[in-house]
Amino acid sequence: MSHIVKHLGIVGAGTMGTAIAKLAILNGVEVLLYDINETILRRGIERMKAEFRHSVQQEKMKPEESIAALDLLKTRTALSDIGHCDLILETVVEDLRVKQDLLKHLDANARPTTILATGTVTFSIASVATYVKIPERIIGLHFFQPVETTQLVEIIRGNRTQAGVVEIASSFAAALQKKPLLVQDTPGFLVTRTAFPFYSEALRLLGEHVADAEQIDRITKTIGGFSTGPFESLDRRGLDSFLTVAKSLYEQTYHEPRFRPQPLLKSMVDAGLLGKKSGKGFYTYEEEL
Amino acid sequence: MAQKTSKKINHPSKAASTEQLPSAEKAIIHILGESPMVEEFAAVCMANGYEVYITLNEGAFQNSERASQFNVTNAINPKTAIGIELTNTALARKKQNLELLAHTLADTAPIISSSVVITATAQSAWIAGKHRLVGIAALPSLLEKPLLEVAPTIYSPKETVDAVSRFFQTLHQQIEIVQDRVGMVLPRILCQIINEAVFAVMDEIASPQDIDTAVTLGMNFPFGPIEWADRIGIQQVFAVVQALHQDLQEERYRPAPLLRQMAATGAWWK
Repeated sequence: MSHIVKHLGIVGAGTMGTAIAKLAILNGVEVLLYDINETILRRGIERMKAEFRHSVQQEKMKPEESIAALDLLKTRTALSDIGHCDLILETVVEDLRVKQDLLKHLDANARPTTILATGTVTFSIASVATYVKIPERIIGLHFFQPVETTQLVEIIRGNRTQAGVVEIASSFAAALQKKPLLVQDTPGFLVTRTAFPFYSEALRLLGEHVADAEQIDRITKTIGGFSTGPFESLDRRGLDSFLTVAKSLYEQTYHEPRFRPQPLLKSMVDAGLLGKKSGKGFYTYEEEL
Repeated sequence: MAQKTSKKINHPSKAASTEQLPSAEKAIIHILGESPMVEEFAAVCMANGYEVYITLNEGAFQNSERASQFNVTNAINPKTAIGIELTNTALARKKQNLELLAHTLADTAPIISSSVVITATAQSAWIAGKHRLVGIAALPSLLEKPLLEVAPTIYSPKETVDAVSRFFQTLHQQIEIVQDRVGMVLPRILCQIINEAVFAVMDEIASPQDIDTAVTLGMNFPFGPIEWADRIGIQQVFAVVQALHQDLQEERYRPAPLLRQMAATGAWWK
């Protein structure tokens, strides 16, 4: 097993997958970005190219650096084309069945020495790896949004993950200029679980009409020193994404009351109020040319 | 090609507007309660020209140098313009302090009281002239900020709230009027984050140090929960979580047993 990740496969060209791909190529890692949907793949690449162009215009990056980084990125629409990578990281939707099926497929088709990493936020590594034949190579790699600026990567060791795999995954995170933190394979791992009350209590306060969303954001920022308020953050992240995480965390902890999702959140998601991406969440956003 | 961007539309602020500031010159403020909140807020008032007297629940300062910075007295001047009560961990003492302020101060002098462990409305039942009382979210390290949470009681007339608002304006502090509920806004959020972190330590998910590293680097929080608790004080945190549990009667607010033990012994990781 190689101790250095030179070739990275990423499954899922959504916001997270594309951001990790960008980070990797900027740090000299060759990336094969896979998505079943060519449109999503194309959009992801276009977004990344636009960001590079912007960085060049702002003189934060030299044109040759942009070209060199983009040369390291290739796209694929067949999973079998990424099986030779040193490490494959999945960033697909937070759905246990989808992740289990994907890892089962990767396990059957990737080289035996390829490390298979899941980007799950809430599911245990053991549960995601239920159907794989070599569970020793499964590990959790949890990046945080915004990937570019957030310094931490949680490394989650499953109960059968090999020590060498943990070592390589940690070195890989460090090579991407992130601080790897080894955490236990428990629901929500460490960050999601510990930070959960920031959002859940804010939602409760809003639901109980103690204060409105803007007030709560102002209070947390001005008095608490938080860089963003809980509602600004939820809008940016997507209310549907947060609800998925909250529901999963609640399920994974066998309905621990501390992790019970808020009815207010569900009603907003049901109404299509998903945050910035839908134009309205706790705040209203208007598109401007 | 035109690039699409989006912007957030701000709604009108509920923060109090800045009107004509009253003069702080010679006005007397008396602050009673727990250290270090009393000294922290006294320093803010003194820096803005008020004549400040303090009464500490703990008694006199042990440190004589510290004592020389403040006018420490158990006697309250009847000419005091505003009385402030900052106790969260000893309700019997808080009641005594409020009764003393209500008994001594003029009927028109506002009384501002920390209301994070008991609502301001419930406190107003302890005193004569309940129209004078207004709640505030007081925890150590939060009272020096440019914004404060204020909770009027069901008895607070507009005049009292306006007077309190004007007082904070003279301290260059804006206010957010929130509902009079145990924990108010920030104390409730912060103390629940800390409680969850203590559960995580109990469950041996991570060390206290790793929790702080994870939350500051992973969430860009200004401090980790362990450091927050260190700044606020573990007894204060426990008092808020316990009050939330008693008030809301929900399992989700149950204090972590380790938090209870550490509050009882005063132990913490820093």
